[in-house]
Amino acid sequence: MRVDATSLPPEFADLEALAAIWALPTENERSALRWRSSKADFQALYDAVAPRLDAMLIALDSHPLAAMPPAFQRLLHLALAFAEATPHVELYKGANQVPISFDNSRFTAEHGDQVYGRS
Amino acid sequence: MRATTLADRQAIYERLGTGPLPIEGMLSAEQYEAEVQHIFNKAWLMVGRVEEIAEPGDYKIKRLDVAQTSAILVRGRDGEVRAFHNLCTHRGNKVVPETGHDSFGRARGHSLTCRFHGWVFDTAGPLKMLPQEARFPEPIDRSCLGLKPMHCSIWQGFIFINLADEPEDTLDDFLGDYGEHFAGYPFARASWRRRYSSVLDCNWKVALDAFSEGYHVETIHAGTLPGIASVEMEQTDYKLFGPHSTSGFYVPGAEAMKPTPVEARLGGSLRQSARHGPHLDLLPPTINPKKRNDFMFEFSVMGPNTVLHLCAGAAYPGMAYFHHQFWPMGPGKTLWQGTNYYQPPQTASELVALVHTDTLHRNAWLEDTSTMENTYLGLKSGKLKDVLLMEDEVMIRNSHYAIKEATHAR
Repeated sequence: MRVDATSLPPEFADLEALAAIWALPTENERSALRWRSSKADFQALYDAVAPRLDAMLIALDSHPLAAMPPAFQRLLHLALAFAEATPHVELYKGANQVPISFDNSRFTAEHGDQVYGRS
Repeated sequence: MRATTLADRQAIYERLGTGPLPIEGMLSAEQYEAEVQHIFNKAWLMVGRVEEIAEPGDYKIKRLDVAQTSAILVRGRDGEVRAFHNLCTHRGNKVVPETGHDSFGRARGHSLTCRFHGWVFDTAGPLKMLPQEARFPEPIDRSCLGLKPMHCSIWQGFIFINLADEPEDTLDDFLGDYGEHFAGYPFARASWRRRYSSVLDCNWKVALDAFSEGYHVETIHAGTLPGIASVEMEQTDYKLFGPHSTSGFYVPGAEAMKPTPVEARLGGSLRQSARHGPHLDLLPPTINPKKRNDFMFEFSVMGPNTVLHLCAGAAYPGMAYFHHQFWPMGPGKTLWQGTNYYQPPQTASELVALVHTDTLHRNAWLEDTSTMENTYLGLKSGKLKDVLLMEDEVMIRNSHYAIKEATHAR
């Protein structure tokens, strides 16, 4: 079951274009995107979301984690994508792989298909 | 025989020796077979947590390639956790189909039904019914045809099985003082599980050893954990308990760590929260015995194939813990599973912060696992006869000592 919402809460309308790319519901989908993103992709996400992170988390916390309205679920998935992608900007100089690491395609995440934001 | 404590440095080295470690045992198929027979078919093996099968009828299927079987771990209607071979007593098919190394499900009506011919077993083991029973030419004695039991015991919410017909030790004696050292930690609080796994082309001991020492942190984790890798760390308080061993990991230089902006924001929010922040007071009394505020984690090997770390919210978010397991699949093939356990997030901002922490952890494990296949190839090249071990690699010495004792003394 995928999230049907195609829009974020109105106060985050400026992040719509990024959400269209990054607000994927599962870790497996977000990881697959991350491992093929470019330095410019990571930087665009970081530059747009980092200054809004506090506002996003406050807005998200106004709803119970297990029962978020669709627009907030989408905002949550964007925030999770940001949390997962940030090391590529802050630590890996924009590289889409962890430097000197194991083949990420051989890592399985047991929780990789879970969708957060609903019960 | 009860595993008792050896904590004096000189006594530790007198027992384990100070010389290089021969590598032959990591390459030999004969040694591997001895380990399967004398260790994996005799020791208590940790196969799960009670929270993984929280409700009556919940089951976990744990594949045990090392013994060519798999275990059904199931909670009965009486709340008891039991273990059985995942094996139909009719003609040997797996009763519950597996979807991976670990599979999870819930038995409806406390029945486990073999998909081959429809034999139905109760979650407590007995054979409940079989189709067309009257057409077997000899009478069926259902009382002898229940699921084949496995010895199963629980310590601190960890489920262990033992594949021996009659285990040599109770689980309490097998863990001995190691069990007491860790008892009382609030494991059950950290019920939110994030597990990563991979099948590695290496001997299980190569993978175990790579995760059994802190010497590698400042080099291999300079990419993902630059804060920790760049400041003073101390691994100390070594203790041996038979096949198990432990040590304390401290970060005297923690104040000099410079978190990245997002780590400061997200990790910082966890460290400052009452729920995920430091709770050194909740550690068992023999862990962090000097009550140091720079305690990072207790770092241990729970023999034969588990590495267990406990945290207390200092320099790491929350009463969280993590473990690595190394499941042999052949002399040169190993299933590695790394599992982080956190307190369940109650809000979206906690979830985002925990996912950020977990991502750094996962990425650090991608760094760790990069060495194992290369190390194994290096050992197979035949250019080294033995390897050198420094002080922070002493738990490796202990694991190999215990493995040798279990396999050569026979």
